[in-house]
Amino acid sequence: MLDALDKTLLKTVAELEDLPKGAYNIRKNGKLLRRQQSANINIETNEDGTGIIVTIKPGTKNESVHIPVILSQAGLYDVVYNAFIIGEDAEVTIVAGCGIHCGTSAPEGHAGIHEFRVGRNAKVTYVEKHYAMGEGTGKRTLNPTTKIFLEQGASADMELTQIGGVDEANRINEAELGPDSLLLVTERVLTDGEQTAVSNNSIILQGAGSRANMISRSVMKGNSNQIFYATIEALNKSFGHIECDAIIMDNGTNETMPSLKAKHPDAELTHEASIGKIASDQLTKLMSLGLTYDQAVNRIIQGFLR
Amino acid sequence: MLELKDLYFTVPDSSIGNSGERNIIDGLNFQFEKGKFYAITGPNGSGKTTLAKLIMGINPVSSGAVLYEGKEISDLSITERAKLGIAYSFQQPARFKGITFRDLLSIATGIEEEKKLLEIVSHVGICPLSFLDKEVDAKLSGGEIKKIELAITIAAGPKLAIYDEPDTGIDLWTIGPMVQLLKKELADHFTTTIVVSHNRVFLEAADVILILDKGHLVYTGNLTDALPLLTDLSVCTYHDSCEGEENAGCFR
Repeated sequence: MLDALDKTLLKTVAELEDLPKGAYNIRKNGKLLRRQQSANINIETNEDGTGIIVTIKPGTKNESVHIPVILSQAGLYDVVYNAFIIGEDAEVTIVAGCGIHCGTSAPEGHAGIHEFRVGRNAKVTYVEKHYAMGEGTGKRTLNPTTKIFLEQGASADMELTQIGGVDEANRINEAELGPDSLLLVTERVLTDGEQTAVSNNSIILQGAGSRANMISRSVMKGNSNQIFYATIEALNKSFGHIECDAIIMDNGTNETMPSLKAKHPDAELTHEASIGKIASDQLTKLMSLGLTYDQAVNRIIQGFLR
Repeated sequence: MLELKDLYFTVPDSSIGNSGERNIIDGLNFQFEKGKFYAITGPNGSGKTTLAKLIMGINPVSSGAVLYEGKEISDLSITERAKLGIAYSFQQPARFKGITFRDLLSIATGIEEEKKLLEIVSHVGICPLSFLDKEVDAKLSGGEIKKIELAITIAAGPKLAIYDEPDTGIDLWTIGPMVQLLKKELADHFTTTIVVSHNRVFLEAADVILILDKGHLVYTGNLTDALPLLTDLSVCTYHDSCEGEENAGCFR
């Protein structure tokens, strides 16, 4: 029931060789392909049939949910609303991702709107990969939205990656942090050719003792363009940091706008941003270890996006 | 094993009226013998690092020749020279994002196997095993990154190893063992070793001292005979009272 193409896409976006162990929900061309629940993880279709609700029982430990989406139907723009309710003290890894295979000149796209409610002292690791491939010339669009609410003491580690082939992306990430909660976001975006990607990030440090760290790594090859906005707003005694680095290759362009808003006197907010080509001392070092110029460039980019 | 023949490195310099050019390396001739320890020293701006970079191919030769094992290598790239067995330890090592000590070791040695990498790190000895997965990024201290740089250079198993100021940022207690390590590598593998340094510990360890001044080689020979010249040039106000990072300047 998984054809060769499905397997390639699944392997790329979810690192799955075949059907995963534990709970999963695989969506193909706008429809449910296969679903499996576990004793602690419930997956059901939402009321209006536009997505799924994943509920993780309080206290669940070391379990994972895979919810990949694959698209290979020409002309389809698939929109899905998924909700994740993570119970108190649970520890869970959620692997999402969308792989597009475009075989014709018709456009294909996916918008995944993911909303997380992370209960008290729960820990969630969220891994999302976006990738598009195929010989077709149709425009491939991926517009993910991620909203996360962290209750007291909760923590979330989110890795959001767009690894190539996506013509247009409008990425939105929003977070609201309760007391003593912790959010780590790492976003990696690689664009090439005439591709464009916009990433909008808004983090609100609502609770006392909340902490957030947003890391963005962008690589622009060809004539591609990326725009990165990130705002951390502190409403309480809290800590926030934004680190955004962009590497320009070829004729790529980038705009980066980190923004810090301290609305409480005990807020500590910092940011560092850089845009530029690969540093020549890095290239020289790797060449002095025996790599060619091109190998050195690849190795540096590979590390940067790791 | 390495010969510099009438070597020049010239840069444009509009401040001089004549030709508008300045020779940073001004007609050097020298022959390095296999398996010997050389220390290159001289006042700031005398061309020491420039010379080291000419040997590695980081700076292009303006005129003259660099011969390595009898072969002219002036036109070879950095990569090609590395593959011939020349290794270079930078004074200010590059910092990366997302590249670890392990990655650099693997690139330098072609080895990825965990057990073998651990063996290499233990053998080199200067970095604890816990360094292996450290990112070689801006978070490392100056001393840590220099130790990693040194370990990678040694791990590459070069025939010719060039160290540019290897003691920068290194604590005084580590410099002695560092010198012993370089000498051991030399003894075990016959590694021709060139150290650019002002530190007397390296000068004392060297078989041959080369003193550069304004791009010229003004002395080659043993340390004892070099001392009066070193004092004259104020390369280092060469006395014994220097201690600690604060006073490190007196050796520089």
